[in-house]
Amino acid sequence: MSESSSLPRLNRNGHAKLAQLCLSGLPFTQVDLDSSRLAIIFYCLGTLDLLGVLGTKILEAQRARWRDWIWEQQTHGNYGAGFRPSPYMTAEDHNSEREYTEYDGPHLIMTYTALMSLAILRDDFAKLNRAGILTFIRLCQQDDGSFSALPNGGEADLRTTYCAFVICSLLGDWSGMDLERAVAYIRRCSSEEGGYGQTPDGEALGGTTYCALASLKLAPATSTSHWELHNTSAERLRTIRWLTANQSSSGGFCGRTNKIADACYCFWCGASLSMLDAGEFVDTAALASFLGQCQFKFGGIAKAPGERADPYHTYLSLAALALFQSPNTDESWRLPRLDPLWNATLETACWAREHIPATKSNS
Amino acid sequence: MSAESEDVPLYAERPEWSDVVPVPQYQGVDALAPINYSAEYQDATDYFRGIIRMGETSPRVLKLTRDIINMNPAHYSAWQYRYKTLIAIGADLTEELRQMDDFALTNMKTYQVWHHRRLLLTALRSRDAAAGELAFTARVLAADAKNYHTWSYRQWLLAHFNDEERLWAGERAWVEDLLEKDVRNNSAWHHRFFVVWSSGVREGDEDREAVGRRELAFAKEKIALAPNNPSAWNYLRGVLEHTKTPLSALTTFVQLYTVSSPSIAPEVMDLDNPVPTEGAQLPCVNALEFQADIYEQEGGTQITKAVEIWKSLANEYDTMRKKYWEYRIKEGLQTTHT
Repeated sequence: MSESSSLPRLNRNGHAKLAQLCLSGLPFTQVDLDSSRLAIIFYCLGTLDLLGVLGTKILEAQRARWRDWIWEQQTHGNYGAGFRPSPYMTAEDHNSEREYTEYDGPHLIMTYTALMSLAILRDDFAKLNRAGILTFIRLCQQDDGSFSALPNGGEADLRTTYCAFVICSLLGDWSGMDLERAVAYIRRCSSEEGGYGQTPDGEALGGTTYCALASLKLAPATSTSHWELHNTSAERLRTIRWLTANQSSSGGFCGRTNKIADACYCFWCGASLSMLDAGEFVDTAALASFLGQCQFKFGGIAKAPGERADPYHTYLSLAALALFQSPNTDESWRLPRLDPLWNATLETACWAREHIPATKSNS
Repeated sequence: MSAESEDVPLYAERPEWSDVVPVPQYQGVDALAPINYSAEYQDATDYFRGIIRMGETSPRVLKLTRDIINMNPAHYSAWQYRYKTLIAIGADLTEELRQMDDFALTNMKTYQVWHHRRLLLTALRSRDAAAGELAFTARVLAADAKNYHTWSYRQWLLAHFNDEERLWAGERAWVEDLLEKDVRNNSAWHHRFFVVWSSGVREGDEDREAVGRRELAFAKEKIALAPNNPSAWNYLRGVLEHTKTPLSALTTFVQLYTVSSPSIAPEVMDLDNPVPTEGAQLPCVNALEFQADIYEQEGGTQITKAVEIWKSLANEYDTMRKKYWEYRIKEGLQTTHT
């Protein structure tokens, strides 16, 4: 097959190296990541997890030090408990036993990425402040059902909704949110094209469509939030139509109608299709070909061919490839299976399921 | 923008800041993804932590937070504390907006830039200010016509202040102008849908049937100019769905775009059914899909015709979505047999 012969190998070593390099330090030009460092760390650890190098090339002592650092970001106080993005606002003389200050508190998105990162590192979650996190989520929820990233302000959109839903599902405890209002908010983000906007009235966007569908699917079945109820046959078809149309002639997915393909949307749109049991409509050979071209020569995957690689696009590209294995690829492209809802390998998801919920001994 | 570091002394060197005790950042052991801070950034953020500890809200805090934001536009705590300070000292919020205009233009992809403006507008409660912001977002969108944050902010302004005369009135003409410039700008198409359909009824748009006709005519005219433009087709579908009109209402129009070669120009211009522009690539995939959907909606024996089209999409015109079209065939046949 001509397609497979023109497909490069997946540069596994290069992609793992980029992740390890970023974990070891970032230049000042990337200082804007300081207030979302735990997210970048999650993309790097997720990359290493997908490439299967965490258990082999990285020593347990190293993994233990990483876990310790992540636990240092867990903090408790006025608005409950959760994880900070990094110590970027933490004072040198702070006392971790004391409550956090107004400007050094937890962040909803970072709390989600911290939990997933710790599951990747196979933590036992003995230190998890479960009750505090539920309080925190409750205080982040706004009157319109959305969740703000910080209890005292910050962005509120479908991304934060998704994080709140994942955390509740990880804990197996939904007492931290008003589910009915949260679902009503998601519904208001549905757009005429079939996807979901970032906020109500917004243009349909791949990433937030993923957030909406995953949240609806994670929600426990109650009379008001049942997946089928909100995903009627006509609506499902409309969403599938929009999602499949986003796979462009380059093989990659675009995030909005008439935009050019971007590697991250291969995951957001592809995983959305998987959740709708429509993953088979993805042209996997074209997808692999596009992502193959997005590989940066020194490692990492970029949003588009010829662009610079970064941890976000590297991880999401690999996650997309894990969901959509193309039959025409060689063994370098083999990746472990992925849970599309939690966005983690099945093994990591399994670990999370076994260790994060409260049990008699840890609650 | 950011400090010309050689000329500007560090906060630690400025006598007017000597009353503040800087608070260094906690380093921890074996930090993950540590950032190699510049001396200026470390100095400014040490003083920022010091200011927060003192609880000071004063004009100099505005200078300090601005310095930090210039170096790190995503520093949300600096934005939060800046806003708190502006309110505490009763600062002129309109002036704050103007001061942040250029910054927003150069950092339009940073969320905090827009969140800050939203907080300011909420506090200002002024329709004049909102009208000014519509003009400002128009400037930003002239530089990047698809910036998602800017569109979201504009939609929020319109819905939040909800003023027909001052805000909504010019919206449709403005978005039409954007579509003149780029008929494939999906953000502009979506905005039109928001303005005309999903945000209530605009003044002068009370006759919904007339509005429906106007919008269909508009979309058809744009499709004629560039037939392979999914944004316009999606708009067309959106209007039909919103007004609960069957797809078959557009059969005559759609058929002009499902043929391989354009039909000979009709002697009498049919304004309801504009023909594809010369040289357009036909048949048009979106039209074929639309025609098949019409047949499917009509049901009965028409399904065979739908299946024929889906087959041509799967095997010839849209092979990337082969499996999707095959699924449509299977589903279509199943519905007729049950």
